[in-house]
Amino acid sequence: MAVGKAMVMPDAAARVTGATPYGVNLKLPHMLVAKVLRSPLPHAKIIGLNAAAAQHAPGVAAVLTAADLGQPGGPALLTGAAFKDQPVVAANRVRYVGEPVALVAAESLPLAEAALELIEVDFEELPAVYEAQAALQTGAPALHSAFGNNCFKHAKLRHGDIEAGFAAADVIVEETFTSPPAQHASLEPHVTAAQWRNGQLTVWTATQAPYLVKRALAELFGLDPAAVRVIVPPLGGGYGGKGHLRLEPMVAALAWKTGGRPVKLVLSRAEEFVTVTKHAATITIESGLKNDGTFTARRVAIHWNGGAYADASPGLVAAGMVRAVGPYRIPHVWVDSLGVYTNLPPAGAFRGAMSSQTTWAYESHMDTIAHRLGLDPLELRLKNLLLPGDHFATGEIMHDIHFVECLQSCADKLGWAAPPEQTAAPPHKKRGRGLGVMMKSTVPTSRSECRLRVDAGGAVTLFTSTVEMGQGAHTALGQIAAEALDIPFESVAVVGPDTAVTPFDTTTSAARSTGMMGAAILHGAEALKQKLIEAAAPFFEQPPAELAIRAGAVVSVAAPAQRMPFAEVVSRNRLERLEAMGVYQTQSELNPDTGQGVSTPHWHQGAGACEVEVDTETGQVTVLRFVGASFAGRVVNPALARLQNDGNIIFGLGPAVMEEIVTEGGQVINPNLSDYLIPSFLDTPRRLETVSLESEGSEFHGIGEMTLPPVAPAIANAIFNAVGVRIRDLPLTAEKILRAIKNE
Amino acid sequence: MNELKITLQINGTPHELTVSPDQTLLAVLRESLGLVGAREGCGIGMCGACTILIDGQAMSSCLLLAVQAAGKTITTIEGLASPEQLHPVQHAYVEHSAFQCAYCTPGFILSTVALLAEDASPDDDTIRRYLAGNLCRCGSYANILEAVQQCRTMAQAQDAGEG
Repeated sequence: MAVGKAMVMPDAAARVTGATPYGVNLKLPHMLVAKVLRSPLPHAKIIGLNAAAAQHAPGVAAVLTAADLGQPGGPALLTGAAFKDQPVVAANRVRYVGEPVALVAAESLPLAEAALELIEVDFEELPAVYEAQAALQTGAPALHSAFGNNCFKHAKLRHGDIEAGFAAADVIVEETFTSPPAQHASLEPHVTAAQWRNGQLTVWTATQAPYLVKRALAELFGLDPAAVRVIVPPLGGGYGGKGHLRLEPMVAALAWKTGGRPVKLVLSRAEEFVTVTKHAATITIESGLKNDGTFTARRVAIHWNGGAYADASPGLVAAGMVRAVGPYRIPHVWVDSLGVYTNLPPAGAFRGAMSSQTTWAYESHMDTIAHRLGLDPLELRLKNLLLPGDHFATGEIMHDIHFVECLQSCADKLGWAAPPEQTAAPPHKKRGRGLGVMMKSTVPTSRSECRLRVDAGGAVTLFTSTVEMGQGAHTALGQIAAEALDIPFESVAVVGPDTAVTPFDTTTSAARSTGMMGAAILHGAEALKQKLIEAAAPFFEQPPAELAIRAGAVVSVAAPAQRMPFAEVVSRNRLERLEAMGVYQTQSELNPDTGQGVSTPHWHQGAGACEVEVDTETGQVTVLRFVGASFAGRVVNPALARLQNDGNIIFGLGPAVMEEIVTEGGQVINPNLSDYLIPSFLDTPRRLETVSLESEGSEFHGIGEMTLPPVAPAIANAIFNAVGVRIRDLPLTAEKILRAIKNE
Repeated sequence: MNELKITLQINGTPHELTVSPDQTLLAVLRESLGLVGAREGCGIGMCGACTILIDGQAMSSCLLLAVQAAGKTITTIEGLASPEQLHPVQHAYVEHSAFQCAYCTPGFILSTVALLAEDASPDDDTIRRYLAGNLCRCGSYANILEAVQQCRTMAQAQDAGEG
């Protein structure tokens, strides 16, 4: 059985010898290098743009400006993942510092950079707004005429009778939490190459969503989707930052002007910071409870800062509404989730998307409630956590639910019941413990397809558009295919994504691939096995119903020694191959006015617990120990599962204690890995333990995010436990903690 | 700018190159020589994805000009071993699944090689400190530590055998 084993990635040797073919390594014959001219202003009219000198500069093959867009027979001006509000390059107006204004394709990077210097742009500055709440105020500068108040999405959840719920409460607790923008900081930057040949567009791009890119480019150029091919190399990290549309529209439009020569754009680290960020969020959460710790009501208001373009935010803001409630039994719930335009770079999915911000709020809030009621934080949670069969605030009935096991396993492993270890530490070093638990919906409506092939030589290939970005998806999916076909893992090759050969998949995000593509593979494997049995039946002189698949062969159920290996089944039928498609489709929908309905095919569940040490003289917090748990349903590969669980916690430590994109006048002032630090070996807790929980008969659950959202609140709760101060604004820096201690 | 002719000793082979004075060693390795195991992550020596060995020392090739490396012995991940015959450190990384996207992995492996050359039996704190200049955004640090611990154990076993 291939599932459940710690298989090593088949391309491990390439990964440790530097041979992995990332997009940044891509070289094509006659390839040009692209470079982007970006807006220096947060909000301005473009009153003049002269690129004539750049067009004639040495080594320049093409220049792209908005003048090339929206013309008959050419690319349209506007594009966007949710709705078309974003110009391929700015036309008439720029809306954030770093917005692309023009691109140059040249023979080399220095020549492209020199040509950019020759493009003259005259701006007339406009008033700008950077905070979501400020952008909603009357008189704030409007970014897009279609949304005069800058609110591009208002998702509403209305469950029960909220006023009656609060009226029934003994205690009402209200708090506001903030979470700043953060940077994905994939070590491999965004990279896209494009080439036009005979009206056909080929794009090589580091994306998590090849079919979304294909559809968007076909729309942009008015092409049949069959004329657009998207090839995705292995990614050097994604974390949500390579989801949706990024460089593809502008690079494809630039390539459209090079006379058939391919052109490639690799972003600099500074450009990464103005390409896509984590949503900044301000979350006000108000809960009503009985004195015994039973919830009566919860109201949540969230302002998501979407930046200058909606991008994927409309869907994410709706998901953020569902993810804002928390995994608790609350009879009356009211959520307003608002996506707002501001003059900052566009925000997008960020590992643990929207759940990181909301879990930060509702799990910090749980400890405030516990403190107010004089209850143990674990006890309060266990009393209220959703159980199988409970109704959630959307009205849907919870299934496959294991919040209690996730949280309890963390608490037990940390030794919650026992007092913290006594140390010889000096008195200004205080220890404390904290907990957090999370729930996350996955993509509500999505589709995964795969193709499984056995060829006459016996080789088995899985064709999938799931993107390998380090999470080991191709390994895990290969294991699922191997088990379903009852063949060794080593004999399955995984190919893709390449939209010319691999079938449709919605996206590799929201930890959906193991579950959804895994289910498509199970479906495809059943179909392929049936085809093999039917093709073998004449040679057995037995009806198909009396045949089965065992160990890579069709066998007679009655006489299993009678067997025909897959290769022989194919070759004896004088075929080159046998193939089958696998499909898995989910459809979930909420009422847009009430948020009632079904929000997700299944729930992502995780928890964390930690012990910290706070230096009361410096405010410095050290996470000594972190334990995390995710619900995996069934673990496909324990080694990869551990990497995901551990990696989530380490990734999550960044925004929890150190990461924040800082802007002044809309300009990012820390756009590099010296002023924007990400966790290193020395920031990682010395004791890090994680577990993936399984359940008999469960489906596969993705685990790419589950241990992440509890990190920040668990640490904040441990700080409160250690020194009695409650920090409500991320990140949990020494400065904030020290100031709070001094103010006590 | 005036181009310069230099000879770089890379992975045991001399390479005669014409470079511009402002070209980084990383750019020359990647673009002129196709040695793409060294990668740019940050461009300012903070992430370690471009780590190479110069006279056995782990260095950020994004911070070095190509001309500064003339006359020195350069080892890149491509010179450490081949996919068919991995270096023991590479073996340890594979055995402990000490990578995810692996963009940072060649840098980590070369830093590990440099560490073990300085101290064949580093304690855990030494390993953490030595490798703090290499960043893994996927967060594989626990597995990386275990891989280096295995290298240490191998060195200790060897010592014991020789002793």
